Amino acid sequence: MKTQHRRRSRERRSFHRVRPLAVVAALAISGLALAGCTGQGSGGGSSDQTDASGKITLDFWNGFTGPDGPALQKVIDDFNASQDGVEVKANIMPWDTLYQKVLTSVAGNDGPDIIAMSASRMPQFASEGLFEPLDDYYTDAGNDTEALATAAVDASVFDGVNYGVPVNFTPMMMYYNKDLFTAAGLDPEAPPTTWDELAAMVPKLTVDENGDGKPEQFAMALGDHETVPVFASLLWGTGGGIANADGTKSTLGDPASIKALDFWVSLIRDQKATQIGMTGADADKLFQTQKAAIEIVGPWMTTGFDEAGLNYGLAKPPAGPSDEAVLADVVSMGLPAGTSDAQKEAAYEFFAYWNSAEGQTTWADGSGFPPNRADVADKVTASPYPAIFGAADVTDVSKTLLPGVASGGPIMETIFNPSVQKALNGEGSVEDIFAAASAQVQAELDK
Amino acid sequence: MTTTAERPAVQLPPPPKRRRPLLRVSGRRSLTAWLFLTPTLLILIAFTVYPMVQALYLSFTDYNLIRAAQWVGLDNYIELLSDDAFWNAFGNTVLYAAVVTPVTVVLALAFALMLNQAFVGRAFARTAIFLPFIVSLGIIAIAWAFLLDPNIGLLSHWLSLVGIVPEQGWLSDPRYAMAAVMAVGVWKNVGFYMVIFLAGLQSIPVDMYEAARLDGAGVWQRFRNVTLPLLSNQTLLVSVLALIATLQAFDQIYVMTRGGPFFRTETLVMLVYREGFQELRFGYASAISFVLVIFVFILSMVQFGYLRRKQVTY
Repeated sequence: MKTQHRRRSRERRSFHRVRPLAVVAALAISGLALAGCTGQGSGGGSSDQTDASGKITLDFWNGFTGPDGPALQKVIDDFNASQDGVEVKANIMPWDTLYQKVLTSVAGNDGPDIIAMSASRMPQFASEGLFEPLDDYYTDAGNDTEALATAAVDASVFDGVNYGVPVNFTPMMMYYNKDLFTAAGLDPEAPPTTWDELAAMVPKLTVDENGDGKPEQFAMALGDHETVPVFASLLWGTGGGIANADGTKSTLGDPASIKALDFWVSLIRDQKATQIGMTGADADKLFQTQKAAIEIVGPWMTTGFDEAGLNYGLAKPPAGPSDEAVLADVVSMGLPAGTSDAQKEAAYEFFAYWNSAEGQTTWADGSGFPPNRADVADKVTASPYPAIFGAADVTDVSKTLLPGVASGGPIMETIFNPSVQKALNGEGSVEDIFAAASAQVQAELDK
Repeated sequence: MTTTAERPAVQLPPPPKRRRPLLRVSGRRSLTAWLFLTPTLLILIAFTVYPMVQALYLSFTDYNLIRAAQWVGLDNYIELLSDDAFWNAFGNTVLYAAVVTPVTVVLALAFALMLNQAFVGRAFARTAIFLPFIVSLGIIAIAWAFLLDPNIGLLSHWLSLVGIVPEQGWLSDPRYAMAAVMAVGVWKNVGFYMVIFLAGLQSIPVDMYEAARLDGAGVWQRFRNVTLPLLSNQTLLVSVLALIATLQAFDQIYVMTRGGPFFRTETLVMLVYREGFQELRFGYASAISFVLVIFVFILSMVQFGYLRRKQVTY
């Protein structure tokens, strides 16, 4: 038996003699990562679509994947039926997907004609040159923009220019599970109205029956990342916040902000007021499965909670010691930079219909969102929720987070939320963590 | 070359005849070869070489996809050096690779040895181990999110029976998140490397084991002196592939933790993704990916150099 199993001699296999082909192979393999990560938008066909009859088709990207999707589609169908010059086609995808795709698609000239996004993200994309200024929409009296809620209109302003038209404007409300309140010996018709009342209820609403240290039921469902920024809005309760009104100076390290953070971090860490580490979707699930008694969230959850058969009430979120401000969420729609005049005109026609009395009545009735204009409130009768979320005592004190701040998105995702998670996991004191975070926020604001 | 210093005193076998150069550009045979290679080369150029060159260019620019790229020279690379996020991601990547690569390779070999034996249910076991490699990311995300869910998770439930009760989700707890994505990383890829090892094991002639047995070698000695040396080629391939794959860890981290909690599981490729697609800084993201390329390249060369010395032909 003759085999030539042998180790090749050392010097021939020395490092210096690695064959060129191996080098090329290694480089090619390692390069595969790049191919997937830095691809530019591939040039597609132009999306300027006008068919033979002169009808303009507008591709409308948005993230209304929930029960609000059909309501949105209903308004679009009504608009398409109301005239024959413009056809809007809704392209509904998760918001995450939309944010990832929108830039490459527009750069590749194969993108949407109308883009809906959270108004809080709009300044970032506007500062990168994605959006077309829409100030002329508001100067045209025919568009009837006077009737719209000011906060909804102003939410999409960046650097003095308005890049958006509101799709919706809604405050976050406190949902509370009446059955769990009753079970805890609390009055189901008396939800907490202040932070102190809430803190007093937490020990009753957080339940650890088997004593293993992990509650089976939490007082609250409060997400700390990938969520509507409820946690950040809690800083307003003590007069604090992430940045000052014009978005030039970080106030995250101020005593007022630290006071609020101390209150909430200790309530969560010491009293286990909520489960740590949840996304917004996790928090929704926790409340929906009756494992949490309170959640602060928007009207898009009413359908899911109704279908789950929850016996819940809605109330204004508890007021802080010095301010009762409530977080408002605005979705706006904009047009990609370089939109042609004809398309712009067609889009304006749709924007005006969306925010008309007729469009807003249909939208509010179908989605449960409050209408963008107060003058249709009495026409919205099919759903009780628009009236609750649109109640004056709530909308009057509601405001958006970091309006007009280009780095608002990155500040929330890469500074504020991670810092909250650090504090909730006990990785340092609140003062230290947020003093460092404040410096980072300032650096972002200075960019 | 400086080879004389290490030359052993014993007489070495004469060096094998020098092989024909691989890429000779003339001649009918090489023309045929080039024709066969063309489709692959075109794909490689279009989807790997061109994007790489483009990314290299972009790494010297400030670019957001919408506006024209602005040349900034070495600014991106200079910024990298003092960027905490970069060093955090670099550390995470090294940690991930340092743990996952050896664990994956050793486990793959162990599974291959086990599944090279005949036993009832072998086909099932092979499939079960290989399956995660071909399962789509979406399914993995859903499956593991369910298994690890703090409230309804199956795995969480089993662990609670033996008294292990994490207060929060495994994936959101900074103490366990990295371990969780590492475990899934091993689980997802081990089957692929196992198949390579299996192929290697089956190409080892049976008579070598017979000879070893006749010489009185036990199980361990047969493994140590026959199996392991004859698997050297597979080991080289698997460890290089595994190292490169772990240094590029992205997918299961993206679907499981998104780099959280507070960047504890953010690897370099995750950072590239965040800087590029979330912060819209494609120039800076390209610079990070080039640092990664160079790092992967150097490590791969070291590995080639080290393991090639153990290469066998028989």
